[in-house]
Amino acid sequence: MKANDTQKRLRIYFTGVGGQGTLTATTLLARTALEAGLEVVAGEVHGMAQRGGVVESVLLLGGWRSPKLDFGEADVLLGFEPLETLRGLPYLRHGGAVFSSSDPLPPVSVSLGQASYPDMARIEEQTRMVAGQCRFIPCRELGLQAGSAQSGNTVLLSAVCASGVLPFGVDALEAAIKKYLPAKLQESNLKALELGRDVLG
Amino acid sequence: MSNDPLLRGARGERHLLLGNEAIVRGALEAGVHMVSCYPGTPSSEVADTFLRLGGEGRYRLEYSINEKVALEVAAGGALGGAMSLVSMKHVGLNVAADPLFTSAYIGLPGGLVVLSADDPGCHSSQNEQDNRYYARFASLPCFEPVSAQEAKEMTREAFRLARELQQPVMLRTTTRVSHMRGPVDFDDLPAPQPKLEFKRDFGRFVPVPAVALRRHAVLDANMEKARQIAESSRFNTEKEPVGGQTRLGVIASGVARNYLADALASGGWEERVRVLELGMTWPLPADLISAFLQKCDGVLVLEEGADLLEQSVRALAQKRGLAVRIEGKDATLTGRGEYSTTLALRRLAAWLDCPCPAKPARPVDTNLPGRPPNLCPGCSHRAVYYAARQVFGDDAVYSSDIGCYTLGLLPPLRTADFLVCMGSSISAGSGFARASDKPVVGFIGDSTFFHSGMTGLANAVFNHHNLLLVILDNGTTAMTGHQPNPGMVQQMLGDMSAHMDMEAVVRGLGVTQCARVRAFNLKAVTKALEEMKDKAGVRVIIAEEPCALYARRRLRKAQPQVAQVAQQGAEALRCLERLACPAFYRQGDKLAVDETLCSGCMVCLQIAPTAFKAKKR
Repeated sequence: MKANDTQKRLRIYFTGVGGQGTLTATTLLARTALEAGLEVVAGEVHGMAQRGGVVESVLLLGGWRSPKLDFGEADVLLGFEPLETLRGLPYLRHGGAVFSSSDPLPPVSVSLGQASYPDMARIEEQTRMVAGQCRFIPCRELGLQAGSAQSGNTVLLSAVCASGVLPFGVDALEAAIKKYLPAKLQESNLKALELGRDVLG
Repeated sequence: MSNDPLLRGARGERHLLLGNEAIVRGALEAGVHMVSCYPGTPSSEVADTFLRLGGEGRYRLEYSINEKVALEVAAGGALGGAMSLVSMKHVGLNVAADPLFTSAYIGLPGGLVVLSADDPGCHSSQNEQDNRYYARFASLPCFEPVSAQEAKEMTREAFRLARELQQPVMLRTTTRVSHMRGPVDFDDLPAPQPKLEFKRDFGRFVPVPAVALRRHAVLDANMEKARQIAESSRFNTEKEPVGGQTRLGVIASGVARNYLADALASGGWEERVRVLELGMTWPLPADLISAFLQKCDGVLVLEEGADLLEQSVRALAQKRGLAVRIEGKDATLTGRGEYSTTLALRRLAAWLDCPCPAKPARPVDTNLPGRPPNLCPGCSHRAVYYAARQVFGDDAVYSSDIGCYTLGLLPPLRTADFLVCMGSSISAGSGFARASDKPVVGFIGDSTFFHSGMTGLANAVFNHHNLLLVILDNGTTAMTGHQPNPGMVQQMLGDMSAHMDMEAVVRGLGVTQCARVRAFNLKAVTKALEEMKDKAGVRVIIAEEPCALYARRRLRKAQPQVAQVAQQGAEALRCLERLACPAFYRQGDKLAVDETLCSGCMVCLQIAPTAFKAKKR
């Protein structure tokens, strides 16, 4: 790998809960990258894992080929649910970037009172120990402000695009939303895009 | 008319496709006429994409009732001159193995491509068998794509070869390839290939023993032709480092090719080894590999799954008298689970005797609450399982089957004690009951019943077995994404296929003790279970209720009401503990219902009538 390639080659790990729409978000970001002229490979797992379980996916930019990440390989972790961010943390390389929702979706064991959900302070503290930069964003809340809980995913994507860790910015994501999302979802997602861009302040 | 780029896209266009969608485009570019399948992760999106596209007269698609039937239909189509594709998951090929082997003997003029989607790592499967064995076992040329682009290209090439040699060809993917997305450059989309006229030939197509022996020789000759094609296939590529001095080589096949490329890039080792990547992996391109071995003193073989390539390379070196050190599987790279870039890095570092750039993994926090997959809120299986547990408790042994309902194994429902394969709830349940004193309750879904439950049920009647079978009929193939099956209502099947009445089938197979209930009618389900509990012989309860996701997304059923907690206390908490609906959540010692998750099945109201009430949404 040449030195100048290193900067372009990025591995992004997505994690969330089945039904949240993380795979749709992965595909949207993949299309954004492809439109930006980057080499793109995305990886997903369908099937049994989607029934309320953890859903992981990856997006590789700049020439990586392997659509599956191992621990310590991800440059960026996008967590659509804070407990899953914590669970997915081993995938992050030391000094990588974390963008995560701070709105919990308790697993059944927690709902049933058999286990307790980790403290948000503990999640943030453990994340900071590994990550070079990290942001926890009330994605569900902002998504609802924009029009639906699902558009909270766009809040997160917009925030990571605005942060500068990706080789493209919010404008590229905006263009992809306009090109690829169905008309009825445009308004809430474009609103979510603004909220995500502004949340970093 | 579909606007989908898979049907509309012209030569030169580039689209981001799922691996399985790229296979569809490849089949269309090849000119496919017939597609059959039985759905199964990770293969399902292939047929589902053909279904979505409609085809506009290009091809005929069918969801067969099982993989054996699907392969026979496709083989029959190819005998009739059609270019045919059959798709299934890896364990499906076990079901279809019988017609597979004989198809290769008689040869299929129209051309048949068999897609086997393997699942290393058992993401959605009961084993991680390596179906490259089948390519060798049954003598099928085999292609293994590792990118979306290759998935399209190799599919097209597989069809070309299948028709040229009149031999079935295997396209073998793994989960990561089926479910990867990447850019795909399109070629022309020609009209479907001409169908070939069937010419009667008793000496070929009817494999009585004398014919079969002759055809075995023809098969061997055809595989020799396929080997020559593999020797110069553009999918088998050698990369020589700049300078070309090194005497170390790596041979990689399958998804390990990706891990190798990324590991060599990460380690900065691209100039230290020569690489042979195999994409057309069977028949083995023996001359190509020999030539590669001759340039090496040491060779490392990288392949996920079994050590098939490694053993073949070892045998080849021995046969051709090549003095080269061959390494492959070891404690780092085993025959189990999936590989990764980091694993390949570690193995390469040890082999090249240089420091490994991959840092040791940080400890994983194992104390986090788990999030296993679960039956959905409003899943009718949960209602039936609850009733069964109330009636039988731990007295019965629960014989489970393959589908969403396998998730009944989780507490508090715990209604799965053993499982072998599709359809085994009935036949393995029959055998268990014969060996044991315990009553056996089997659970099977509608699609699985039509897949391979019917034969087991006929056998149970024929052999006087003693089993209570509950058919969890949710009217669709839920786990794999709501594909059609004979239990689906006619309105949803449309003109494509015909509905079959479950009870008529059950009674037609000779079952006389059969009850039909609504799964959400807890009283009726409980009563049916209690009545059947005291009887002997083969008993069947058909518990009907559409899959909750299917009802909402496809049947567009309204959900006019939600459950609400009317009274906190022991009754409410008992319901929480025994039903464990994911729409419930606990706040301190209080219970609440998440209205966004509740589907309004009202099973909780029937269990705890004073604790819950219905509310208009």
